[in-house]
Amino acid sequence: MADYKEAPLATRPRTLDPNDYFNLSQEKRRADEERAALRANLKRQYLTQLNNPSRTELIEDPALTRWVYARANPFPHFRPTFKTSLLGIVFGVVPLVTLYYIFKTDRDRKEAQIKAGTRDRKFNLAY
Amino acid sequence: MAGVGFRRWAQTLTKGRGVGISALLSGARAASGASKGSLPGPYPTTPAERAAAAKKYNLRVEDYEPYPDNGQGFGDYPKLPDRSQHERDPWYQWDHPDLRRNWGEPMHWNFDMYIRNRVDTSPTPVSWNSMCKQLFGFIGFMLFMFYIGEVFPAYQPVAPKQYPYNNLYLERGGDPEKQPEEVKNYEI
Repeated sequence: MADYKEAPLATRPRTLDPNDYFNLSQEKRRADEERAALRANLKRQYLTQLNNPSRTELIEDPALTRWVYARANPFPHFRPTFKTSLLGIVFGVVPLVTLYYIFKTDRDRKEAQIKAGTRDRKFNLAY
Repeated sequence: MAGVGFRRWAQTLTKGRGVGISALLSGARAASGASKGSLPGPYPTTPAERAAAAKKYNLRVEDYEPYPDNGQGFGDYPKLPDRSQHERDPWYQWDHPDLRRNWGEPMHWNFDMYIRNRVDTSPTPVSWNSMCKQLFGFIGFMLFMFYIGEVFPAYQPVAPKQYPYNNLYLERGGDPEKQPEEVKNYEI
């Protein structure tokens, strides 16, 4: 397993991660404890609401609200830059225009063939 | 009063009682529901704004990293590590066990992609090189064998069907008076 190479975009197994063995420090420990404190606070808030016997409504999750709001409202933070314009053109304009040209030339070619009588039309629309 | 907004006017007028109108005119609101500063906002520029945003998203100030301000519409939403929910501890008591997420935890921008029915970034049991070799080896071998089969085909010999009576001369509308030419479909 010494030559284990993880897939791109996947994670390395934690047992093969050298940071777990070598780069441990007090700061890391303190950071982990601060994160655990934040997590415990949120857990306390949630469990208080969950176990409240007189609660009748759903427990609203502000993190979920923020996520939905952020995903639904990117436009106030949109700025036309080189990258965003390029993406817009590549995904919005190019498919439209290329498909128009492909279909138009193909159909014009077929129409010209029909007018010249060279097209093999086997299937009748009416008998 | 003009800054109150159409929504609150509509709500008070439909309530139909006097208390609603006086509360509307004085601008008093209930303390429940999302507060004004709790929604995502624009990209934070000053350290004070960064600290406020980190507090809003329940992250440490050192952990909070917004997406780069390139105009793609992220605002101040935090950039969390691109890890799928498959990787989270299956044995911990999550608040939402199927999503492996706790209440109030900041959600990844692509959270709906990283749920357990979809993209999985957990470590693969076999290394990348081994997987590539197996897949492309198999595909390459099959393509090579199909090519060999094209070059050296192996099937039962067939020929066009042979008909008796001079290739069915009369059945094909030949003249009964005329003598057809003799057709021999065999060799002895």
